[in-house]
Amino acid sequence: MSSEVVLAVDNLAVEFATWGGSVQAVRDVSFKLHKGTTLAIVGESGCGKSVTVQSLLGLIPMPPGRITAGSARLRGEELLGLGAKALNRYRGKRIGMIFQDAMSALNPTMTIGDQIAETLIVHTGMSAAAARQEVITLLGQVQIPEPERRMRQYPFEFSGGMLQRAMIALSIACQPEVLIADEPTTALDVTIQAQILQLLESLQKSHGLSIILITHDLGVVARMAQEVAVMYAGQIVEQGSVDDIFYRSAHPYTLGLKAAMPGKAAHKAQLQVIPGSPPDLFAPPAGCGFHARCPHVMQLCESNAPPLFGTTHQARCWLHHAAAPVHPLRQQLIASSGS
Amino acid sequence: MLSYIVKRFGMGVLTIWFIATATFVAMHLVPGNPLAQEKAVNPVIRANLEKQYGLDKPVTTQYIIYITNMLHGDFGISYTQENRFVKDIISEHFPVSAELGLLSLFFATLGGVLFGAITALSRNRWPDHLIMVFVILGVSVPNFVFAALGQLLILKLNGWTGTTILPIAGWDGFGSMLMPSLVLGLSTMAYLTRLMRATMLEVAGTDYIRTARAKGLSTTRIFLSHQLRNAIMPVITVLGPAIAIITTGGFVVESVFTIPGLGRYFVQAVQQLDYTVIMGTTVFFGAFLVLMVIVADILYGFVDPRIRVEAGR
Amino acid sequence: MTSFTPKPEDFALLAQRPSLHHLQRPSMSYWQDAWRRLRRDPKASVSLYLIIALFMITLFGPLLWRVEPAREDLDVISYPPGLRIPALIVTDPVQWPGVHADPAALVPADPNSTQSLAATTTIRVEGEATTQYVRLTWQPVAGAATYLVYRNDHTPEAAGDLGLPLFQTLSAEELSFEDRLQLKPQDYWYTVIASDGVEEASVVTTMKVPVQRALTVSQARERGLDATPGQIVSLGAHPFGTDTLGRDILARVMQGGRVSLFIGIVAPLLFVFMGTVYGGISGYFGGTIDAVMMRVTDFLVALPFLLFMILFRIAFGIGPGESGIVPMMIALVLLSWENTARLVRGQVLQLREEAYVQAALLLGAKPLYLIFRHMIPNTIGPLLVNLTFSIPMAIFTEAFLSFIGMGVAPPTSSWGSMSNDGIKTMVNTPHELLFPALFISVTVLAFNLLGDGLRDALDSRMRSRE
Repeated sequence: MSSEVVLAVDNLAVEFATWGGSVQAVRDVSFKLHKGTTLAIVGESGCGKSVTVQSLLGLIPMPPGRITAGSARLRGEELLGLGAKALNRYRGKRIGMIFQDAMSALNPTMTIGDQIAETLIVHTGMSAAAARQEVITLLGQVQIPEPERRMRQYPFEFSGGMLQRAMIALSIACQPEVLIADEPTTALDVTIQAQILQLLESLQKSHGLSIILITHDLGVVARMAQEVAVMYAGQIVEQGSVDDIFYRSAHPYTLGLKAAMPGKAAHKAQLQVIPGSPPDLFAPPAGCGFHARCPHVMQLCESNAPPLFGTTHQARCWLHHAAAPVHPLRQQLIASSGS
Repeated sequence: MLSYIVKRFGMGVLTIWFIATATFVAMHLVPGNPLAQEKAVNPVIRANLEKQYGLDKPVTTQYIIYITNMLHGDFGISYTQENRFVKDIISEHFPVSAELGLLSLFFATLGGVLFGAITALSRNRWPDHLIMVFVILGVSVPNFVFAALGQLLILKLNGWTGTTILPIAGWDGFGSMLMPSLVLGLSTMAYLTRLMRATMLEVAGTDYIRTARAKGLSTTRIFLSHQLRNAIMPVITVLGPAIAIITTGGFVVESVFTIPGLGRYFVQAVQQLDYTVIMGTTVFFGAFLVLMVIVADILYGFVDPRIRVEAGR
Repeated sequence: MTSFTPKPEDFALLAQRPSLHHLQRPSMSYWQDAWRRLRRDPKASVSLYLIIALFMITLFGPLLWRVEPAREDLDVISYPPGLRIPALIVTDPVQWPGVHADPAALVPADPNSTQSLAATTTIRVEGEATTQYVRLTWQPVAGAATYLVYRNDHTPEAAGDLGLPLFQTLSAEELSFEDRLQLKPQDYWYTVIASDGVEEASVVTTMKVPVQRALTVSQARERGLDATPGQIVSLGAHPFGTDTLGRDILARVMQGGRVSLFIGIVAPLLFVFMGTVYGGISGYFGGTIDAVMMRVTDFLVALPFLLFMILFRIAFGIGPGESGIVPMMIALVLLSWENTARLVRGQVLQLREEAYVQAALLLGAKPLYLIFRHMIPNTIGPLLVNLTFSIPMAIFTEAFLSFIGMGVAPPTSSWGSMSNDGIKTMVNTPHELLFPALFISVTVLAFNLLGDGLRDALDSRMRSRE
């Protein structure tokens, strides 16, 4: 494991003020992103994974959103609490971002070329002509054919896959250190998905990018990530290396997710669902967020929130407490921590 | 783009034909056909009319005569004034109405876009609340009240200063145009402000504005090159209908400020039951409005790349 | 973060799962929820109360304020709002002989004299100055042939500011003037100038005369008031003042409100109904029928609305100065249903594709059942909003037409026609315009705000915000 930490997030908490009270969308989230690697954040919709990364760049609407605690340091420089002006030195320049639906994420009344050139002009002070040349290079890098013609076109003239490529070109235009990809392939066909992932991989190698990949697709995680964080109800419930997560799952929720994934082995068993639904974040339960759906629920789970157990492979589950009954999951955590 | 324009004009011609026909039907088929009635009319005019409209012939023939005359730009002769052609009356008075209308449309659009942008940017703070109070007043107070207040204001201003800052009535120079066109544009301005605020807020919540923020653009730049441009488009689409509101509102403002426009003339014609002037003006105004809506549509086509590019194929 | 140290018994596996966490909130029907949200919106609730109050005032107000709206009272013309109009009772005026000088005592006028005349002196008011009469006398001026009397309602600044004379004496002996010309209870400035028949005196004397409202004994008797001369009586209250014919504006506003609100409510009800039927048919059948029906609405939108309102009225044979409430309503209905039709059509087209409607169709639901069970309940919200916004439009149209003399005409009055009357006297007596205009504005404002509130309350997307 490369040890150089590019981005470190500690104890991040975000809440949203709504009519019905405040929603605690992100609670006590910490992770580290190492240089040249990919960290995947996995979880079902509404678990807070998008809010987590968007709050790093101040992209959540504030108000109603509010970062209540935590820190996020890009190579030691604190990001949270910066004003809009200060943040703009990081946004697009040192941290690039790709969004899920490229069609709605690009301005419909501006040409693709202009939208990419805009970033270059703002951050590098390039002339318009130089920026245009650079755009052509960038579009070539993301394998968009005929870049000279395509850069003069509008988003509605692009196909979904091409738009996502343009979006990627936009996000890497200023050679950022970190690329945040928020569900970059969710809206795409499977074949296009593969192409986009391939593109991201090759760009990571050529540019030395560190990527945070938000997804709910464990297949994408297995292919792209070295590190994985599993989020549930605003918290990270398990994190570790990709092997830890897939082969030594230490949290009942991760097991549930894996069982719910239609894999190559889908023929032999019925797809499993996790019964119930995530807790109400208006009033998070006092105990473990997963206790109501957990097959291994114990007496204390309902009213006592579990801490993270483990060191490099961590899980937020009481089963890993020393006094807990011996359970196969516990062996997993011990095994990976020991290695 | 050309085929788009041609298509719009084709629809426009059809619509104008419909307006002309509807006018004809309204005047002829409803009981109490004014043209057939023996109202006390000057015999010279009566003879003119009979010749002009073929009143002794069947309705279908009358209709064909009517449409043919319209196609030649001939709206007939005034019903109450001898030897006054309706088209002369229109060409004499319409330019004044057009000046008034365009000037107030200018004020309305400028104010609407400006105030709409201010309210959206200062959402839920005092400039927003203040402007929205004026907006709700603007759409709730009838324009004759604004006209009366405007005139009263000029009167008081002139009284206090002892000089003629602005003329109270008439149509002579920019000074006399200022208050009527402001008053006339007020309700449209209020409407556009509301629309602009709504679209600005909608655009502010879109994904592409989030992308623009993620790109690290300054707030000013996002506002100017992304938000404003996209928010202004719906405003352009309602400019055509806005002209319709302004033109009809012009009747009142022209009457109050005694401006010699077509609207004021129309009100007088209605009071004197000058049927031919009423018919001619109705069709003319209708055609003018149709044309303005088409112009606004084409303008929109030029601004919105989606329509421009699609139409170019 | 946990100071909690678990004991071994805490780790007992639960044999039975705790009941799944409930995400439910209190169940509430669509309408209950919309109503609750409407009541929470202060602007909308105040508007709702305002509208109820307006209806109460126009419907029941005339039962409480029993003043005939058409009664003209020429003694109180254009009287500003007031609860009490005091008037002095004076004896019935007898012929006033006036004051005449002895011709022998006068210095006759010399047409050849170049000397300019002196000013008149000691102008006096004989008796009380009242709206019945003002009697003036003055001292003779040497060399005068005649006297000119001017009346102004402000202090004349110079001789040129006097305007035209009110009266000129027939001879030099006449030293008095009785003014009975449309006197109002206000201050007047009387100026008397001597003239030698050719030239007026260059020096003038002006006197301020406060005029008091007065009724003669016989007028007071007619009104059934205490007819004792010297008594101050009250002429009846006019909370909103009176108009140029001395009619009570409060009574007229209430009566006019009936007309304005009748047109403003009934016409939208009718055209929203017509639009619903039209749009429902168009959307339900779709295809060619839909295409043709929608083309018709396209044409209708292009008609210059107010011009056709006027055209219809003329076509009905209603001239200027005649009231045409029914034709106005017919024209309003014929020209305004298109907006609703488009709305309903869009809604129906969308609903037709909804899964639950498709499911009902598969289960063999009849068209009528579909329309009543699914289409109408799902369209009624937007329709209600549409209706609420149509009402101000109709009120505005009526006011506009009446304002240009093409709506209701005397003896019927509406807020629009009252505004039209009021605007003529706007400079001196603004209250005649203020009250009808205020009522139009408040009504339209209330319906607009209620419409905004309703739209927000009925928008189901807003539910998720809570």
